[in-house]
Amino acid sequence: MMRVLKIAHSATLPRLAVVAIAGLGLAGCYDNAGDPKVQIGANPVLPPLQQYLIPPIRIAKVVSWGKETPTVPQGLQVQALATGFEHPRTLYVLPNGDVLVVEGNGPKAPINRPKDLVTGWVQWLAGAAGKGGNRITLLRDTKGDGTFDERTVFLDHLNSPFGVALVGQDFYVANTDAIVRYPYQEGQTSITAPGTKLTDLPGGPIDHHWTKSLVASPDGSKLYVGVGSNSNITENGILAEYERAAVWEVDRASGAHRIFASGLRNPTGLAWEPETRRLWAVVNERDEIGPDLVPDYLTSVRDGGFYGWPYSYYGQHLDPRVQPQRPDLVATAIAPDYALSSHVAPLGVVMYGGTDLPAGYRGGAFVSEHGSWDRSPLNGYKVVFVPFSGGRPSGQAQDVVTGFLDANNNARGRPVGLAVDRSGALLIADDLANIVWRVSSKASEPLHDSAESK
Amino acid sequence: MTIHSPGRNTPDRMDLPFSGEPIRPILLSFPIAYFTAAFVTDLAYWQTAAVLWETFSDWLITAGLMTAGFAVIVFVIDVVRGKRSRTLAWPHAVGYVLAVLLSLLNAFVHSRDGYTAVVPTGLTLSALVVVILLIAGWAGRALIARRREGADL
Repeated sequence: MMRVLKIAHSATLPRLAVVAIAGLGLAGCYDNAGDPKVQIGANPVLPPLQQYLIPPIRIAKVVSWGKETPTVPQGLQVQALATGFEHPRTLYVLPNGDVLVVEGNGPKAPINRPKDLVTGWVQWLAGAAGKGGNRITLLRDTKGDGTFDERTVFLDHLNSPFGVALVGQDFYVANTDAIVRYPYQEGQTSITAPGTKLTDLPGGPIDHHWTKSLVASPDGSKLYVGVGSNSNITENGILAEYERAAVWEVDRASGAHRIFASGLRNPTGLAWEPETRRLWAVVNERDEIGPDLVPDYLTSVRDGGFYGWPYSYYGQHLDPRVQPQRPDLVATAIAPDYALSSHVAPLGVVMYGGTDLPAGYRGGAFVSEHGSWDRSPLNGYKVVFVPFSGGRPSGQAQDVVTGFLDANNNARGRPVGLAVDRSGALLIADDLANIVWRVSSKASEPLHDSAESK
Repeated sequence: MTIHSPGRNTPDRMDLPFSGEPIRPILLSFPIAYFTAAFVTDLAYWQTAAVLWETFSDWLITAGLMTAGFAVIVFVIDVVRGKRSRTLAWPHAVGYVLAVLLSLLNAFVHSRDGYTAVVPTGLTLSALVVVILLIAGWAGRALIARRREGADL
């Protein structure tokens, strides 16, 4: 009997111990991420997927802008339009030129697994845990000189708002759990009338991806809502994903909805392409299978289209973390139009129809990249421009607004919502520094000292 | 009020199984139970793919590691105080250390999202831990029994 024990002790157990310890050791080291450039465009390079004991985490240290501003190409200028917000996310320009700043952050995430404790800590370190204002602030340029000198609380006591849209005199707010309609008269600086719920949206108690992006159809009859998934990759169960990871089409008259497109993990920004009048979205793809997987993307959203999540990515690339698989759905999965590279976290998209910025930007898409936390080196932390022609992306994305990371890769800001103001300048919400930036042509009417608007 | 009790060092008392170490065997039973339960919930997840079972496994492994940590602290205190265990033999020690190391590895595997948090690596590690605990428990007891026999002879 003892001989058996001795054999077990001398052979099997130490070998197992060596494997276990080697496995633990490996957990700490992984290859650096590849060049993001090969993952931008219609045909991104997709490396084989990896699974980790500890997935890569790289959080940029948060520092202040000080007196500095983001960097823009020659011929453009950037200034702080307004500061001191509470987690500004979405920007919206009303017909009279007033700018709305939607200030919100997600509801408190439940602790379902031990890992959620770590996730909460990572978000706090990244400066993503800032309190959301749960309100919308209105900025008005009373002199018409590009300085927004009047500031009022437009709507307050909202519930993690993100998307907003105005159709005629109906102003819609996409809270995390419902679309609410408010009456709006042109020139109003605050809404005190109570809201009317148009429809519920998938909210808590998990509400992993809480943002609900919103646009109205060009004819104003429908609203399109980007509803993110309730998990990274179904770890909260497939039932928690009911009607999520989808773009909803909501009838404005009745509030009835249908799933317009599905398999879009987190469609955080929606915009109409002006030439073809098709709906486009920026989508945040899945994490924890490598620093170069899966590239986030910009895509046209087809009626009835399925874009892969959770079962597959970029068409038919299967994700083994999803069980049971759905080969029937995977067979129909559409590969997105334009990859933006991995983990850049696109949160805003706007098709540029203004005239202030140089002509090269006309008709193309500006995309804000909030920035990565799970790859090294960091990726994103900038606003890029994707040129369009004939209603399709037509070339390499260009960096337009950079400097959100300083020379030491510390984060000074993180871009979120984008909008084009009435003069054609590009507005950028920075939810880390709580600033709204304004990018305009140097040739255009100069802004006064931005300190005035502080 | 006085209660009659045998002195700590009387031979009667020495022969009781938990003699002089009332806490540690109880502490040790917690991680063993948690790790074994995690194997059961892993089996349930493997069979059903219902995320509830994977969540159970996550917490059970975490609780097993935490209670194992307590047991280690108590063990270290005992060693420092010069107490020698009568219920622990080297197969126990080797087995428990290995089980905790593998469970630590398993906690990281279980922190993955989705099916591969369990199948196949997590489930394999959970099963391995149970097998190691069984072997260690049986071998340790056998060794102690032999020692006692030897002492009695």
